[in-house]
Amino acid sequence: MLTISLTGKTGKNLLLEGLSIPDKMDFAGELKKISGKNVYTSKEDMIPYLNDASYFEGLLPLAVVVPADTQEVSKIMKLCYDNNVSVTVRGGGSSLTGSSILSETGIVMSLARFDKIEEISPGDNLAVVQPGVRLDALNEDLARSGYFYPPDPASSMAATVGGSISTNAGGLRASLYGTTKNWILGLDVVLADGNIVKLGGRTLKRSSGYDLTALMVGSEGTLGIITRAYLKIWPLPEEKGRVSAYFSEIEKVGQSISEIKKIGIMPMIAEFLDRITMDSLESTTALKFPKEARYLLIMDVTSTAESIDIVLERVYRKISELNPISISKTRDPKVMDEMYAARKGAYSSLLKQREASTQKVVIGDVVVPASKLPEALKSIEKKGHDHGLKVALFGHIGDGNIHCNIYADVAKQNVMREVDAFQMEIGEIAVNLGGSVSAEHGIGIEKRELLSREFMMRNSEYTIEMMKQIKKIMDPKGILNRGKIFE
Amino acid sequence: MSEDLVADLRREVENCINCGFCESVCPTYAASGYTMSKGARGRVDLGKSLLMDLVENGKTTMDLSDSFYSCLDCFACVQVCPAGVNAGKVSHISREIIVTQKYTEKDYRKDTANMIVSTTRRYHDPLGLNRKISGWAAGLNFSESSTSLLYTGNMYQIMPYSKKLSEMSMRMGSRATSILGKAISRNPSLIKAAGIFYSKEMAMKMNSYLRYIADLLQEAGVEFRYMGDHEPYPGTFLYDLGYEEDFREYANEVAGMFREMGIKEIITVDPHTYDLLKNQYPVYVKNFDFRVTHYLDYMKKLKFRKVQEQVTMHEACHFSLRDDPYNVPVDLVRSFSNLVLPSRSGKRTMCCGGPNEMIYPGLSQKISGERIRNLKATGSDRIITACPICYANLSSEKSVVDISQFLHENIVKQV
Repeated sequence: MLTISLTGKTGKNLLLEGLSIPDKMDFAGELKKISGKNVYTSKEDMIPYLNDASYFEGLLPLAVVVPADTQEVSKIMKLCYDNNVSVTVRGGGSSLTGSSILSETGIVMSLARFDKIEEISPGDNLAVVQPGVRLDALNEDLARSGYFYPPDPASSMAATVGGSISTNAGGLRASLYGTTKNWILGLDVVLADGNIVKLGGRTLKRSSGYDLTALMVGSEGTLGIITRAYLKIWPLPEEKGRVSAYFSEIEKVGQSISEIKKIGIMPMIAEFLDRITMDSLESTTALKFPKEARYLLIMDVTSTAESIDIVLERVYRKISELNPISISKTRDPKVMDEMYAARKGAYSSLLKQREASTQKVVIGDVVVPASKLPEALKSIEKKGHDHGLKVALFGHIGDGNIHCNIYADVAKQNVMREVDAFQMEIGEIAVNLGGSVSAEHGIGIEKRELLSREFMMRNSEYTIEMMKQIKKIMDPKGILNRGKIFE
Repeated sequence: MSEDLVADLRREVENCINCGFCESVCPTYAASGYTMSKGARGRVDLGKSLLMDLVENGKTTMDLSDSFYSCLDCFACVQVCPAGVNAGKVSHISREIIVTQKYTEKDYRKDTANMIVSTTRRYHDPLGLNRKISGWAAGLNFSESSTSLLYTGNMYQIMPYSKKLSEMSMRMGSRATSILGKAISRNPSLIKAAGIFYSKEMAMKMNSYLRYIADLLQEAGVEFRYMGDHEPYPGTFLYDLGYEEDFREYANEVAGMFREMGIKEIITVDPHTYDLLKNQYPVYVKNFDFRVTHYLDYMKKLKFRKVQEQVTMHEACHFSLRDDPYNVPVDLVRSFSNLVLPSRSGKRTMCCGGPNEMIYPGLSQKISGERIRNLKATGSDRIITACPICYANLSSEKSVVDISQFLHENIVKQV
């Protein structure tokens, strides 16, 4: 048994034990035989891999490897499998739950060099893409053909195709188009032991045995390494329009989405922001909001050039029936884009309102059926007050997704206890209303306990057991992203 | 180390939220083969670690020079950062920390950087070219009584030599370049040998561009002086490489020369000198009360004929990505031509890789290749640039021309 001693970022000595690497074997040297200069072992080169966009800090890896193709990934996995070395895969490093940092000894594998858009085929509604392609870059390319890939997490500038598949990312447009799982036709995957498998493929339909493609979506790098994705793409909407309305009562914001769906209109985007979020946007953008407004509802609809005004008018009238403080509609792309960008940057704007650099904004991510939104929003807001926490609320209410953004000094244990208790309680509220503790951010390190609680509350602990059994079959030595999803 | 540097570093890194947006636009991240320590986000992470080291241990044992010296200072990162963090400034502050040597266990400075500093201090230009810098002006008449100075900063003139040196450095490899750099820093006069290596073709181009600039200014009715062989380099490298005290002394020397001549206005011709004089000289030079302009400011006095030719523009970082962007070049070209900008333009413009040419020529070459692909994707007949460094670094693409040539071709002469 080899004991590896590393000096951590803080200068503290990290004794990393438990590897079954044969004595005297230079593991990094073996990696270099496969990936050459794309293996990093110096502290200076590895420190940047300690963090993702969450508030967790990972361990210093044994090495960082940046492979270029599937065969190389396969060789690396075989080496790691034979030596029982854990592998954490990294895409854009934009995880909010700590899924892309090392929580147990091992290596980090960055898929950044998988950066090619291999094929765009509008006739097949298909794009074949490597996992390291960033979502904004993909959509910039697709737009030239009049198409787009709908999943649009707020992190789309940094988030990669592979990373967003691994967390089943959603975003603003999920209200109409659904989350990532609806857009994945197939995947090439390298398994823990280095075997390469092809799941799904180029077609829009497929009913050939178990849907293992779906199994990979949201698996956070714990079941295999995605090296190619076959994505469904869609024509860009012909016309868009927006209704914006300000409210003083949170229940009415929640009610709005059900009312619109009842008249047969599916908004492409249905977002809400609370006063704290509006204030933060006023300080970071040129946007201004009415002082008396406590909540803002934004609803975008799409249609043909001939009918967009009619659809927009119907939404406008329906929302007006809820007696908002004020309401407006627009089809001006510039106005719509400005607000869309601001909403995507809402989390970042909140971060700018921190009182100290040690303060973070812990972002919650629960989901309930749309009809339960009024109740969920009211209960969550009250819980925040009860815990004495500063909580900003916004979310994708089109699909019942609420983000509670909690200002917290992560270094203070008493504060974090309140935060954890609040997170658990809002998770319970969501589950009691038929929802889930995680809508689109995944589980990572942060929500392992919440995941257990969800299935316990649903009286289905065996679901977790099934997940663990699947993990065991696909990764018998447990080397893929150790310490994630399960406690 | 001054408390100011620590405070500056803390101020710049503490707001980082690690979202990774900066990494997606950082040219060196992709060009380095996606090495995080050579990307914007990694640099901020390393800046945080450096700060922690200095606060906890007083010194750092980490050699962070390649990470911070490979930063282009293009500031593409801060344009997309939701928290307003500038990884370029983190790199700049960290280079200053490296240069002081007081807070590093070893001397982590770059030999090539030391070489450039010692030659600049001795010869007032990084390559000791003194007598070769004014050749372009042969036969031109200047107004010796004018208080306006045409200040080329030697930037156009240096390019034929730096381009050649960069190619030689690529061939020699980093170790041999480093040894040479060390030797020249000890004996700066050795740099004179560099004068025999230059690209003749580029020298002719650069001379011609400077003559166009002088002609355009005269056409606009501007009277100006020129310092000829005595014109000093503005010290851009000293500032960029983090040699703060050397830059302070040098900038004061240069400003002193302007003062002795009774200069009131300094007309610059390139983005680097314009940015340095406009934004840094006032910080480092006491009572820097010169009016800093760019020759393109005067072009609105001229008329240009409408052209059908589709052109694209490579916008320089030191114009477009600074706090107070200078958009005159792009507005001017758009006013009389069919301008189609590339996907990376305006606040999203991409660096040509030029600032890395002397120390990391391989990285520089990869970045320029990527930028050329991006510019050519517009399908334009020509690529216009208003920066000699950008021109030199993009010059493997033959359709690149300096804005001075494009303006000169299309000027409607006043009768």
